[in-house]
Amino acid sequence: MSAGGRFRFVGVRVGRKDGVLKATGRATYAYDVWLPGMLYGRILKSPYAHAEVRVDATEAERLGAVVLTPRDVPDVLFNPRLVSVEEDTFKDWRVLTEHPRYVGEPVAAVAAASEEAAQRALEAIKLEPVRVYKPLLDPFEATRPGSPAIHERIMRGGAWVNVEDNVACTLEYSEGDVDRALSEADVVVERRFHTNRRYHLQPEPKVAVSRPDPDGGVTVWTTTQTIHNTKILISQVFGIPQSKVRVKKVFLGGGFGSSIHTNLVTLVAVALSRKARRPVKIALTREEDMMHDHVSFEMYLRIRAGARRNGRLSGAEFENVMDVGAHQIQPYPLLGTALGWFVSLYKWRAIRYFGRAVYTNKVPSCALRGYGNPQVTWAVETVVDELAEELGVDPVEFRLKNYVGKGDLFWGQGPTVKSIIRSDGVPELMRRGAELIGWRNRPRPGEQTGRYRRGIGVARGFHTSGAGGPLSGSVIDYSGAFLKVNEDGSVDYVTALQDHGGGTLDAHAKIIAEELCIPLEKVNVVWSDSSTTVYDVCTHASRGVYVGGEAARRAAREVKRKILEYAVRILNVAVGPEALRVRYDEELGDAVIYVEGSDAQTTLSEVARTAWQRNWGSISASVSFRATAAPPSFTAYFVEVEVDTETGRVRPVRVVAGADIGKVINPELAEGQVQGGFVMGWGWAVLEDTPYNPETGALENMGFITDYKAPTAGDIPPIEDFRVIFADTYEPTGPFGAKGIGEAASNPVAAAVANAIYDAIGIRFYELPITPERILRALRERERASGENPPRRRGVA
Amino acid sequence: MNRFNTHIIPVEFEYHEPRTIREALELLARWGEDAKILAGGTDLLVQMKMRRVEPKCVINIKRIPELDYIREGPAGVRIGAATRLRRLERSGAIKRLFPALHRAIGWMASVQVRNMATIGGNLCNASPAADTAPPLMVYGARVKLASVSGERTLPLEDFFTGPGQTAMRPGEMLTEIWIPRQPEGTGSAFIKVARTAMDLAKVNVAVALTLKGWSAFNVRIALGSVAPTPMRAREAEAALEGRPPTEGLLRRVGDIASEEIRPITDVRSTAEYRREVTKVIVADALRKALGMVRVGGGVG
Ligand SMILES: Cc1cc2nc3c(=O)[nH]c(=O)nc-3n(C[C@H](O)[C@H](O)[C@H](O)COP(=O)(O)OP(=O)(O)OC[C@H]3O[C@@H](n4cnc5c(N)ncnc54)[C@H](O)[C@@H]3O)c2cc1C
Repeated sequence: MSAGGRFRFVGVRVGRKDGVLKATGRATYAYDVWLPGMLYGRILKSPYAHAEVRVDATEAERLGAVVLTPRDVPDVLFNPRLVSVEEDTFKDWRVLTEHPRYVGEPVAAVAAASEEAAQRALEAIKLEPVRVYKPLLDPFEATRPGSPAIHERIMRGGAWVNVEDNVACTLEYSEGDVDRALSEADVVVERRFHTNRRYHLQPEPKVAVSRPDPDGGVTVWTTTQTIHNTKILISQVFGIPQSKVRVKKVFLGGGFGSSIHTNLVTLVAVALSRKARRPVKIALTREEDMMHDHVSFEMYLRIRAGARRNGRLSGAEFENVMDVGAHQIQPYPLLGTALGWFVSLYKWRAIRYFGRAVYTNKVPSCALRGYGNPQVTWAVETVVDELAEELGVDPVEFRLKNYVGKGDLFWGQGPTVKSIIRSDGVPELMRRGAELIGWRNRPRPGEQTGRYRRGIGVARGFHTSGAGGPLSGSVIDYSGAFLKVNEDGSVDYVTALQDHGGGTLDAHAKIIAEELCIPLEKVNVVWSDSSTTVYDVCTHASRGVYVGGEAARRAAREVKRKILEYAVRILNVAVGPEALRVRYDEELGDAVIYVEGSDAQTTLSEVARTAWQRNWGSISASVSFRATAAPPSFTAYFVEVEVDTETGRVRPVRVVAGADIGKVINPELAEGQVQGGFVMGWGWAVLEDTPYNPETGALENMGFITDYKAPTAGDIPPIEDFRVIFADTYEPTGPFGAKGIGEAASNPVAAAVANAIYDAIGIRFYELPITPERILRALRERERASGENPPRRRGVA
Repeated sequence: MNRFNTHIIPVEFEYHEPRTIREALELLARWGEDAKILAGGTDLLVQMKMRRVEPKCVINIKRIPELDYIREGPAGVRIGAATRLRRLERSGAIKRLFPALHRAIGWMASVQVRNMATIGGNLCNASPAADTAPPLMVYGARVKLASVSGERTLPLEDFFTGPGQTAMRPGEMLTEIWIPRQPEGTGSAFIKVARTAMDLAKVNVAVALTLKGWSAFNVRIALGSVAPTPMRAREAEAALEGRPPTEGLLRRVGDIASEEIRPITDVRSTAEYRREVTKVIVADALRKALGMVRVGGGVG
């Protein structure tokens, strides 16, 4: 480590390692992979929301295409996301199915010499509906007795379970006496919330290239957030030993959860390539990507919460009904984490929780930047705001009095993942944020008149850094790293951990450089695959830097220990490795190893060269690391909006975004994460949704992003009005004090925006997105109800 | 659904790049309804990928120099049909003489799209939301249509006949848009309400009026995305014509316009919202137009 505790690389702004590759278009994404003899695949999507169909592929085969039908794929049920332990994993997917349960579900596939030929073959396949069911698009309708069963039987681990009333899974939990707590509360607020169903809109649509190998295995290049879980699932579905499934790392154009699971496209490509005995590439178009296998969890939440006059919360009931779509991509652990998000925001003291995941004939839901956290935070931060108002206390102070912070037990990732909070920047973020936005002088709800009204809203939140903990729990979370010193003192770093494009691996490189006191250029991040890396669960849950980075640091520390042992041999004056110190020498561009109070010194390159020349052997370390905590990264947003009360349009005016992510390793990229988090959150708050056609059960926009609007640069405040502040904290369990950022950055945004809109116009919204249409309707209803005339317009001429 | 593949254009067609209007018209005459003109392609290619149109022949008119110009004359400005939006946006004449059109173009799509898209394409695509239509309508623009058998011109208002439908006959193409100079003391404005900064309109409106003394004359109000075609709000215009534009009257004009439109509910918005917001932005646009005349000092 650097002398005087000053960091050389950590916390310092440096250029991105992959910047040139990306800027010059030389970064290889899955789409760029081309193999000799490769065929192009296309997937036949079900036009029915729920049907039993017969596939007639005679004509497609006559055209010379390789055709894959449900009969050609293994009769295996699976869950595409491997994160829970086996006995808690619900399985209801097949690679292809004659019983599609949503519009877009893969039914068959073709491969041909060109995309055009494949397209022609695809169009030649006949789908004959044997039975068509009425689409169920609402979870409350789906659970009504007599509704068609979307699944009759599914598997939990290795056992069959029957599905009753389309309920996919449930979870209940309670602590303390809620009824008493609420009856003794001085104020009680009960609200129902309904979230939108958002699409990830990750920049890169999903792609898979699969090559069958002579040993009976496959090599796969695909958009995934986890090469190891993809390897395991392919192995499980196709019965290929894991040693023969090689999943290669390629650049990933954003994830946000869209490839947290092994997308169906990957499995279809594997099946097609095995049947064709040729490499096959399937690249989804943007439209297909939206209807294929991922949107956010649409939640119906109910919160009943009470507080006492002394400003303390006393108890809460929390109900969570999730519309998970036609298949499970791990809603079961989400039932637990949703509760975790809830209880870890505030000290409710007594809680009762009821969680239920329901099947509908819609695109299946998966994690989307926060895994239910933005949804739950929106509801909680609305209710907390309302309680503060009822009590007549400042919403900032009320939050500070009740939040779960330092020293408290924290179980963000659900009841089986608990640890104690050791770093906490919440008071700093709330106080500084309030000051910067001018919280004290903010308008009061409903006080303003005139056409344009401004409001300031606050919301806070957090996300865990990974899902580690002292107990094993029901969630898998560990990482690993392999590090070797080359014969000239440069190092190769091999990790399975995926960088979604946010710069996670840049942070790892910095951590290694810092630990070894070598220049960043000497750290090479190797493009590896599942067979040359040790297991990493997935880049999700904001764990890339906290868990993966710590694995890298431990590998570096281990390597350093060996370097010092060799250095003792070279220097031969030191009593042992403990007597040696290491510093970074900028001029030499090397780590200098020295003995305090003596002239004896050597360098890392000298050590590496000597170890090679004298046959001492390679210096390397392989580490598998499980974090024993999942510390919360806290965020606090203050957002100022302006509402045009005559058109219902709302515009963000100023943002102060505070983040406590421990030691900030990559300041510029961390700031970028926060800004991006706001933009995404803003879209969720006011714009995005995926409505369905009630008759056909298809997405109204058929996947076209012309009608899935996300904010553009022109819709957000100029960068001068967007202030990012980082708390001055240090997480003792993280690499150089760091925690995660990805999800915390967007979790409280919708809540802060909703609270700001309330502040501006005095109306609360319990359904997302808060569109101009909804705002205007609410304003008009209020006018009608109060007999008030429309506010007088002020001319702008 | 399985027929879309936006990676490719899943249709086979013949492709031509004529260099003169004459050649283009001959191709059109030969292929008739099986041909589609390609200008910037920012609408056409989307539709071909979506299989909404499947032409057997595509005629690219962007290589025809005689379709790409902005000419300022004493009576008005002539614009070649294949002139790119970006060029119009950068034209001093357009900015000075037709600020509502200039504003509408600057608000369309993105720079990248505007570098490809043409004004003729926007009109011929005949979307009810076409952003250049309302401003051109309030300025009284005329369009020139040509075929192998000759040319004719007609007011832009008569050009749109339905969503995606125009008065063009098979074998005809749009060659020129002519916009007359506006009288002294004219103010005009354009306002669009959309989901994001880059979107088709939920509602768009252009207005133009000439102030003489205290009263407004020559009042023209055109709206888009609120009826099967871009439309003039004639009753609203009549309510203001010849009268002093008081604040109360402007609001009444907005209300009348809102009664005249025939909006529907679609993915972009609801009929109810379109009605509400029409009231507001018609009045806003009129205020803005009046503000422009006053600033410009064109009134006594
Ligand atoms: C991302 C994006 C954003 C957009 N945003 C907007 C927006 O904000 N507002 C808006 O109004 N539009 C918008 N559009 C639509 C489109 O860009 C415009 O309508 C554009 O002006 C079309 O021009 P073009 O030259 O690309 O037309 P093309 O696609 O080449 O042609 C459109 C149609 O007109 C026909 N055609 C073209 N020229 C002639 C001619 N001279 N004679 C006869 N027929 C002809 C073609 O055959 C075709 O049917 C957007 C499009 C995209 C892709």
